[in-house]
Amino acid sequence: MQKINKNVVLALLSLTSLVFLLFQLYYYKFYLSQKNGAVFSKVRGSQSGQDSTRWHVVRKFLGLISSHNIPVYLIDPLILGLVDKDIEQIRTSPDAPSPECKYFCAPRDFTTFALLDKTWKHEVGLFRTAEKMGFQWLKIINKDPRLDGMDDLSGIEIPLHYIFKLASHAIHLVVFYERSGNYLWHGPLRLKHHMDRKFVPFRKLHFGRYPGAYEKPELLLVSIDDLKVQIPKNPSSFLEEMSHSRFLECRYREARAFFQLYPDDASLDAVEFRKKAKSLLHLAALTLNNLGVKFWLSSGTCLGWYRQCNIIPHSKDVDLGVFIRDYKADIIPAFQKAGLPLKHKFGKVEDSLELSFQGEDDVKLDIFFFYEEDDHVWNGGTQAKSGKKFKYLFPKFTLCWTEFVELKVHVPCETLQYVEANYGPDWKVPVKTWDWKSSPSNVQYNGVWPVNEWDDVIQIY
Amino acid sequence: MDEWKPNPAVKPHKKRSWYLAWKYKLMNQRALRKLCQTGAVLFLLVTVIVNIKLILDTRRAAYEEEEESAQDYDDEMLNVEIPRHPVSNKKVLDVEVYSSRSKVYVAVDGTTVLEDEAREQGRGIHVIVLNQATGHVMAKRVFDTYSPHEDEAMVLFLNMVARGRILIFTIKDEGSFHLKDTAKNVLKSLGSQVAPFLSWRDTWTFVGKKGGEVYGEKHAKSPALSTWGDPVLLKTEVHLTSVEDAECHWPDTELNRRRKRFCSKVEGYGSVCSCKDPTPIEFNPDPLKDNKVFDVPVAVIAGNRPNYLYRMLRSLLSAQGVNPQMITVFIDGYYEEPMDVVELFGLSGIQHTPISIKNARVSQHYKASLTATFNLFPDAKFAVVLEEDLDISVDFFSFLSQSIHLLEEDESLYCISAWNDQGYEHTAEDPSLLYRVETMPGLGWVLQKTLYKDELEPKWPTPEKLWDWDMWMRMPEQRKGRECIIPDISRSYHFGIVGLNMNGYFHEAYFKKHKFNTVPNVQLKNVESLRKDAYETEIHRLLGEAEVLDHSKNPCEDSFVPDTEGKVYVMFIRMEQEADFTTWTQLAKCLHIWDLDVRGNHKGLWRLFRKKNHFLVVGVPASPYSSKKPSSVTPIYMEPPAKEEGAVAVPAVAAAEQT
Repeated sequence: MQKINKNVVLALLSLTSLVFLLFQLYYYKFYLSQKNGAVFSKVRGSQSGQDSTRWHVVRKFLGLISSHNIPVYLIDPLILGLVDKDIEQIRTSPDAPSPECKYFCAPRDFTTFALLDKTWKHEVGLFRTAEKMGFQWLKIINKDPRLDGMDDLSGIEIPLHYIFKLASHAIHLVVFYERSGNYLWHGPLRLKHHMDRKFVPFRKLHFGRYPGAYEKPELLLVSIDDLKVQIPKNPSSFLEEMSHSRFLECRYREARAFFQLYPDDASLDAVEFRKKAKSLLHLAALTLNNLGVKFWLSSGTCLGWYRQCNIIPHSKDVDLGVFIRDYKADIIPAFQKAGLPLKHKFGKVEDSLELSFQGEDDVKLDIFFFYEEDDHVWNGGTQAKSGKKFKYLFPKFTLCWTEFVELKVHVPCETLQYVEANYGPDWKVPVKTWDWKSSPSNVQYNGVWPVNEWDDVIQIY
Repeated sequence: MDEWKPNPAVKPHKKRSWYLAWKYKLMNQRALRKLCQTGAVLFLLVTVIVNIKLILDTRRAAYEEEEESAQDYDDEMLNVEIPRHPVSNKKVLDVEVYSSRSKVYVAVDGTTVLEDEAREQGRGIHVIVLNQATGHVMAKRVFDTYSPHEDEAMVLFLNMVARGRILIFTIKDEGSFHLKDTAKNVLKSLGSQVAPFLSWRDTWTFVGKKGGEVYGEKHAKSPALSTWGDPVLLKTEVHLTSVEDAECHWPDTELNRRRKRFCSKVEGYGSVCSCKDPTPIEFNPDPLKDNKVFDVPVAVIAGNRPNYLYRMLRSLLSAQGVNPQMITVFIDGYYEEPMDVVELFGLSGIQHTPISIKNARVSQHYKASLTATFNLFPDAKFAVVLEEDLDISVDFFSFLSQSIHLLEEDESLYCISAWNDQGYEHTAEDPSLLYRVETMPGLGWVLQKTLYKDELEPKWPTPEKLWDWDMWMRMPEQRKGRECIIPDISRSYHFGIVGLNMNGYFHEAYFKKHKFNTVPNVQLKNVESLRKDAYETEIHRLLGEAEVLDHSKNPCEDSFVPDTEGKVYVMFIRMEQEADFTTWTQLAKCLHIWDLDVRGNHKGLWRLFRKKNHFLVVGVPASPYSSKKPSSVTPIYMEPPAKEEGAVAVPAVAAAEQT
């Protein structure tokens, strides 16, 4: 009697435990799937981990925007990654019906689209329709950076991001603005205090942590998963661009403060020099970009950008930096073809390479090549008459985009460290006399070129 | 947790398992007991593990989420929201109105909404309009009814105010001298008992609702011609109505929502706010075929003259080929009402903190506006620059669309302007005709980006230089011999009477009779012949066919030009060197055209119309066209009057039009 009882108790206990365990497993799985993407995966293709909610939401969204004639294009990196693998097939048969939901059904919290600001009129009607369709939406606005550089203009704030949420899926719509320098810019996503922090998992958004700069993409209308969408014509190059698209705004407020302390040189000479330096920089950027050589603003030009958002009128030259791994032998002929003859060449590709080109009227273009070491980078200098070598050390840096004299160019993201390494803690104070051999705070003596190499490493034209 | 392996041989640590184990110990069937024991323990252990993992995961995720929402995506700026005023549910407003010789003030619920004790200004009747539901000030005006015609303006204004609004009147100094019966009757119809008897230097205050009750009136008679009435202070209460009563019930559309916002804030714009058949705020003019200026940004330079801006934007948005998306209104100062007007039309507006004073302030505002325009539209090659006191011709964009390519292709061009300085009713005739002139007229013009970015912006006059931007642009250092293209009949009309360098008299003399094109879709006829060299050929052709007028007659007389139509005549005046405009100035004076400085010339040649004939004036011998003068003709010389009054006025007045 007692035995049977005990067995029954045991069985009951095991059963309860089993049920409990199953419940927990289910819950755990549910939780995991929610964490990774869609909350529910029930209707279509639940076996293969597909999420038709997403597909439906995207379809609804595309319907919404096409009913308002708003041209958006897909920039979701995960989908574009998938699309890129099949790009040939998608291109060749753009209207083929797809047998399975391949792209828009992977369970995700959101899908990202881009919108060019100038292609729509900011009609309020869009949001009313969206609401009627059941979307909840959030608009993130902020100051217009195109007016940021200007004294005392207070424009209206501009929309930078929109988020449309339906059921468990959200559409992240990034607004791109055209800016001086022929590029597209999108803003950072920053929540104001009254905003709902839990509206979507903001941290997982692919766009918005930093502002970004992009080339204007060519678009392609494709049909994927039976949805007609525009995508960048070349998804892989878009994804590549995206990976280093971070944009730094010039520090306009600090620049204004600087000019309060040290009024700008408005003399005719200064105006003339700036004009020449600007066109030289434009020409250099065009030439290097055509060659596919990545460069950034260095030395005085970088300081001018960082300190005063302009060319320093007494700097007398334009300085660019290039990693030696990006060096191409075509650089010199390309510049010569562009009308910039080589003025001097110091060093060699293996060591301390530096090129100078002669621009219009004594304005010189210096290209310094940077060599990467484990914990620092450096570029070299050579004194022509003595063959002395110098080394300028910089902390390691990554490259960011910025806008400078109507040009989209790279600068070191860690600009302050870069400028401080070069100009010391007093970089904020303008210095008119500058000796490249002794003034920089990061200069090191680096020996002398062997005399038999002089012909090669010291070339002056 | 990870290293812990469920091992049946090991005795479980958990209390419950231990308890079970202890229970089964009492049983004798070892095998069964052991099996059950193992199974139970296994299950329980797995449960526990899963449980613990779940809890840990949940906690970590929750923590992460909290963290992510806290950092990173927060706006650095704190308290960006504007603190809201507490909404008062008060239904009654206390209104205080004061009238005296040297000071007036109006206070609503203890807040001073008008206070004027400045000397020698603010004379006349001050009018304030309050919203009957909210008590907000919707309009503030002063009509100097001591001077003529101001009472008419007041009547016009009062007629435009919607029924039900609360009107507050008070007189400063003198307000009756030119207050005619019409105006007095309007005031009477508002409920004033004193208005019909208002006389010299009386003080008077009145508060009433348009088309409704009177809340109070006070009046003090002036005892003698040389003295003023005693100051009067009126304290009264106004009962507010509900918001619904104060608003019109327009159909709920996007446009009407804008209208509603506008009409509940400001007054004095007439039918745009009438409840029945309000005037449209969207115009949808016909699009232009092959519009070359559709993507050209339009910068409207504005100050604080919202009524002007309203009129200007109406005409601009009615012009064929307008693209509202490209329009930006730049307001010099943080004025609310101009911004309200901009929003009414659904345009974008930008406010600019005033820098410097007077002319330099205008000049800095121009610079900021132009720079901002090219920043906002980075791929624009041109910008159209307009001012808030211009009417825009219906074919303004058509005119630009047909001519804008010249600006890009012909390097000898400085601008294209819609304004002909010499195009008056009696001197302009041909809407399809264009000229090249050495002066820059402004008043609706096109600026090329390269010119601005490469030349003008870097050396734009700094704030401490009190220069007029347009005078500066006309200086040879900037213009460098380049010319502007203008139409014979202007495509803009300057209606501004109030301005920095502007007054009623000046406007009447120089701007009122300016000809303004009202014909749509004019096909310009000589666009290609405006290129540098082609234009010379054209001029030589014209001079070749022109009939030389009788130089013995007085050129000021009407009979100087025969009573013909469609002919070309030429006259020669004396012009010793390039800068000798003595005779021209006299001629301009007697022809009643712009004579304050030299405008509209091209190499010593002026082109205008007289009696519907093309009329050319050549300055001899300075002009290269002097060779066309028959040797028998002596150039006409006109002597300036002994005391030249014009010279004094030039510097002040020349820039007036731009303001």
